[in-house]
Amino acid sequence: MQLVWDWRLARVYDEDERVLDESIWGGVRTKTALVERLTLLMNGRMTIEARTLAERFPEIQVTPPTSIDSWPALGDDEIVLLQDASLKLAERGVADSAADSDRRLEHLVRALDEARSSQNSLESHLVEWAGLFLPTLDLDLHRSSIASAVSNSSNLLELAAGLDVTAAEVELGPHEWSGLHSLASSTVNMTDTVDSMEKSVRELTNTYLPSVSNLLGPLLAAKLCTAAHGRARMARLPASTIQVLGAEKAFFLHLRQGTDPPKHGHIFQHPWICRSPKWTRGSIARMLAAKVAIAVRVDHFGGEPWTSKQVSEVEKKVGEIRARRSRR
Amino acid sequence: MISFSDRVRIDGRSLWSRNAVKGVSLRGERLKKDGKKEWRQWNPRASKLGAGLLKASESGLLPEPGSVCLYLGSGHGTTISYLHDHLCAAKNHLGGTIVAVDISSRCIRDLIKLSKTRPGILPVLGDCRQSEHISPFLSAKVPWLFQDVSQSGQVEMFIHSCHRFLAEKGTGILSLKSASERDTGSAFEHAQRSLLEAGFTLVERIDLSGWEDQHVLFHVVF
Repeated sequence: MQLVWDWRLARVYDEDERVLDESIWGGVRTKTALVERLTLLMNGRMTIEARTLAERFPEIQVTPPTSIDSWPALGDDEIVLLQDASLKLAERGVADSAADSDRRLEHLVRALDEARSSQNSLESHLVEWAGLFLPTLDLDLHRSSIASAVSNSSNLLELAAGLDVTAAEVELGPHEWSGLHSLASSTVNMTDTVDSMEKSVRELTNTYLPSVSNLLGPLLAAKLCTAAHGRARMARLPASTIQVLGAEKAFFLHLRQGTDPPKHGHIFQHPWICRSPKWTRGSIARMLAAKVAIAVRVDHFGGEPWTSKQVSEVEKKVGEIRARRSRR
Repeated sequence: MISFSDRVRIDGRSLWSRNAVKGVSLRGERLKKDGKKEWRQWNPRASKLGAGLLKASESGLLPEPGSVCLYLGSGHGTTISYLHDHLCAAKNHLGGTIVAVDISSRCIRDLIKLSKTRPGILPVLGDCRQSEHISPFLSAKVPWLFQDVSQSGQVEMFIHSCHRFLAEKGTGILSLKSASERDTGSAFEHAQRSLLEAGFTLVERIDLSGWEDQHVLFHVVF
């Protein structure tokens, strides 16, 4: 005996495909109701009719309707209803993807990278350009304050006075000054953009990846998660892969041409690695990646998030590796 | 002029389909009036099925108009729109159905837009590896199944989907990109062997080079 159902009806067949029992969806067939039913089916669940029959025939074998030759075909009304409902369901699925933290994090991380690099290049253009007119200004010392100083001044003399230096003796045309001024405003804007994006990455990773972000810091945690194509995948990656995430180029060169394998990818940015002596970095990266692999599993599968207690234990191990390898 | 059906033909050197939505060119393709009919150019570079039609020497690549088809890995719906021209025609008066499955919400979004002007297309946001994502939309096995997913393990996926959803003597078409598999060198040979072992009859292995490099279409009958 086999139990077969789709969104319209459920049937019990015997071995020779004769119908023994049947239960048909008797409710009002609206689009919304069908969307609910389709969702149920897509999750591999039973409809009410199927459950009714399953109770009548316990220990029955379940068979998909596409394996039954005599399964009733869709009527014209049913085709239209199914079409409308599947459209609605697909729309709902697309809307639901807004709640997907992986996607949000991916956009944030990518946009943040882009914003940071354009902020950097805007700033360096501005510093050199404005510096041309302020020959005695120490550009390295005032690098970060030049943008706001320019955007708060209305002419070159005011700018020079604000920074307490003398201006070069040149006549700046009104357009040249306004160009400089608006470049400065854009730089200030871009700096704010970067700030607010960083804050939002912190916010998101602190709830989505609390353990990893406690261990590595939220920005690096976000970067690793994006490089791994999402938390679900990252939680299934071996530690050795997490260790070289972001070093794909070197890694595949190693596989193809037998160069030395990379010791670290994005994880290098963590101070425990990049601030350590060169010869200890490989070991520390390996140990840290292993801990990250555990931390991300804790986050993904709903464990107790790591606190500073676990992090300080890892830090202790970093110290041990550094000490062990100090003499060389 | 070679005709594949009333609605798909080769005119000169290019492929054309009867436009089911008159006056609308989806991706800026050329439209051509021919009396009351309007033909839409089918770019083989943007559609592997289109390239396949131009390069195939065996017939039977297109489904019977008015039937139910399963399309796995629908992408942004370019090929789907031509398939719709052929299978459903204007206002779906042929009564065809295309169940179009893709895992990417970005793609389904475009497909939703398409299906609003082209009744007969059922957009499904789901994973082709999981048959329960597909089965609620089918009430019987389909006579035509196309798969273009560009993922590793796609041959096994295709075999599994065909066993589950393709009717006896149905047409299955697998678009294979060698770069998606680990071992790129022998990917096509390996795929062909797997298909034959799974009990398919290979009608033709269509090499798409010229239109789409490193791609082949396997045209099989179940």
